[in-house]
Amino acid sequence: MHLKNPLTLQNKGYVFFDSETMKTFISFLMNQAELIAAHKKGESSYVFRAAENVDEVILDYPRTIQPLKKFFLPPRETLLNFNLEENDFDVPDMETKKRIFFGVHSYELQAIHILDYNFKRGNPESNYLKKREESLFIGISYTPDEYHFGKSVGLEIEKTEGMCLYIEPMEAGYYMFVVDDNGLKLLTEFSSETVALKTETIKPQPKEFQKKIKYHYNRLPQVFDKVYDSSVWKKVSEKCVGCGTCNLLCPTCYCFDVRDEIELDTINGKRERFWDGCMLNTFAEAAGGENFRDKLHNRTRHRLFRKFKYITEHSGELSCVGCGRCTSFCPANISIIDIINNLIEEVSLNS
Amino acid sequence: MELQTKDLYNPSMADIVAVEELTETEKRFEIQLPGDTALKHKPGQFVEVSIFGFGEAPISICSSPTKRSTTFDLTIRKTGRLTDKIHLLTAGSKVGIRGPFGNGFNASDFEGKDILFIAGGIGLAPLKSMIDYTIDKRDDFKRIIIVYGTKKPSEILFPSEIKKWQERDDVEFYMTVDHADADWKGNVGVITTLIPPLKLDEENTVAAVVGPPVMYKFTAMALKAKRLPDKNIFMSLERRMKCGVGKCGHCQINNSYVCQDGPVYNYLRVKELEEAI
Repeated sequence: MHLKNPLTLQNKGYVFFDSETMKTFISFLMNQAELIAAHKKGESSYVFRAAENVDEVILDYPRTIQPLKKFFLPPRETLLNFNLEENDFDVPDMETKKRIFFGVHSYELQAIHILDYNFKRGNPESNYLKKREESLFIGISYTPDEYHFGKSVGLEIEKTEGMCLYIEPMEAGYYMFVVDDNGLKLLTEFSSETVALKTETIKPQPKEFQKKIKYHYNRLPQVFDKVYDSSVWKKVSEKCVGCGTCNLLCPTCYCFDVRDEIELDTINGKRERFWDGCMLNTFAEAAGGENFRDKLHNRTRHRLFRKFKYITEHSGELSCVGCGRCTSFCPANISIIDIINNLIEEVSLNS
Repeated sequence: MELQTKDLYNPSMADIVAVEELTETEKRFEIQLPGDTALKHKPGQFVEVSIFGFGEAPISICSSPTKRSTTFDLTIRKTGRLTDKIHLLTAGSKVGIRGPFGNGFNASDFEGKDILFIAGGIGLAPLKSMIDYTIDKRDDFKRIIIVYGTKKPSEILFPSEIKKWQERDDVEFYMTVDHADADWKGNVGVITTLIPPLKLDEENTVAAVVGPPVMYKFTAMALKAKRLPDKNIFMSLERRMKCGVGKCGHCQINNSYVCQDGPVYNYLRVKELEEAI
């Protein structure tokens, strides 16, 4: 099976920004639209949120806790407002405000691309897709830490598909690559004159991934054809606590639950959807109490198969983007790379 | 190209036209969509039924689209907060309806064949939509054999329909209960005990099976013993569903979304889906 070929840095040319110009540019963007960027949360943790102050915007960070999906598929979203007296409902206005996502990594964009695929497929869902309208993405390169493995799932750091601009930091400032016309328009409006793009080839410092999957990503679907009954699932589940953190923080997980809440006036209420996760025990429980995936190792397998096989079979792309969140935030120190490499080892031993 | 998006989660506020108590725990609700529109469903499909404040659940449609009126029927078992509330509703109340969803039974898989319906417990409700359909289009099908089992005589659904099926010369009806009471004069035993005595033209018999999860494996074994080819067996599977439109993920069995590819599966596909039965 050949997965879709990832594009790498495609650009129309670049300009150079020193640090001060970058700050001015961020301020300019904040006046254009709501600007979502990485911010410090704790000592060494980061979150995406709307920028209020240029100086708080972080350009150099390993990963945020929550991926970008929270802006398009909120953790809690009202589907309907209902009134029990009238036994009727209305649909809340869906926001379509212009947003610029600033300084996002290539795996984040690929994850949005995968979410787009799933929300467009079959029954295109307006709740998600309306929020996706009017989004611009400005990418940035990153330095892989011990959890990133983008390259192993076919995602180079400088994959720019879906971005309008791409930032490569260098010693005295930043290269600002123009990826598409939206990016060029932003730069032109910023400098209020024609932008002279440089096109001489530059070679950013090559960055190595510390973590690697043992097989080329094109071979992963074949591996997953052979590991349904692997002993690896049970071994992993011995450590797993079934908390579902990996689901909630995964940028491509989108499963949800729906619940009704009645307000204290006992007249008004809302039907809301919440993030849910296939690692949680009740996820596959049907009416009458039958649980169709009551074993932790079956749920672990289901999660991994959704990332590497089930959705890949029709999308042609892996649903894992190598961000490393499930591993770096796992309370039981379970590594997705180790799971996959153990599966590969088992397959290579048995073939 | 502009993608046509849909508001997938808005229910139609439908009227309950009639309520019939079937057993202690099951009621049949006749429902009319607003504006006298028909649901336009296929036998074996389901709808999402909701009551504001109590939530939404997938319920099989138990009437056939061949019914003359624009209404459709749902048989609902009391199993929790939402269905307890639905049971309190009377004619004239409104419920939210989304759907129809799922693939349903394909009439062409059954036409010209002997049909063997195997229903366990409340599984008779979804099957009844197909049973009614085959009886209403009687000439399109050969034998119609209905095999029905419940735990106790008091759990028997649709007694008036069953009486009609028993009276017809062109419908063969067999039933059993797991546990008899003092008045019961029929068969006693699990549903699979009714299968071995059947005389079947196995190549030309198509089975439709709906029942509790535990029933499927044993029914498949019993049908295999009768040499029914796998491709002649169809099963409707139950799963938790929140959206009905292939998004929420709850109903997924391996790589298949029951709300999209199911709930009716050919047994050949069921055998590929390790988590199915």
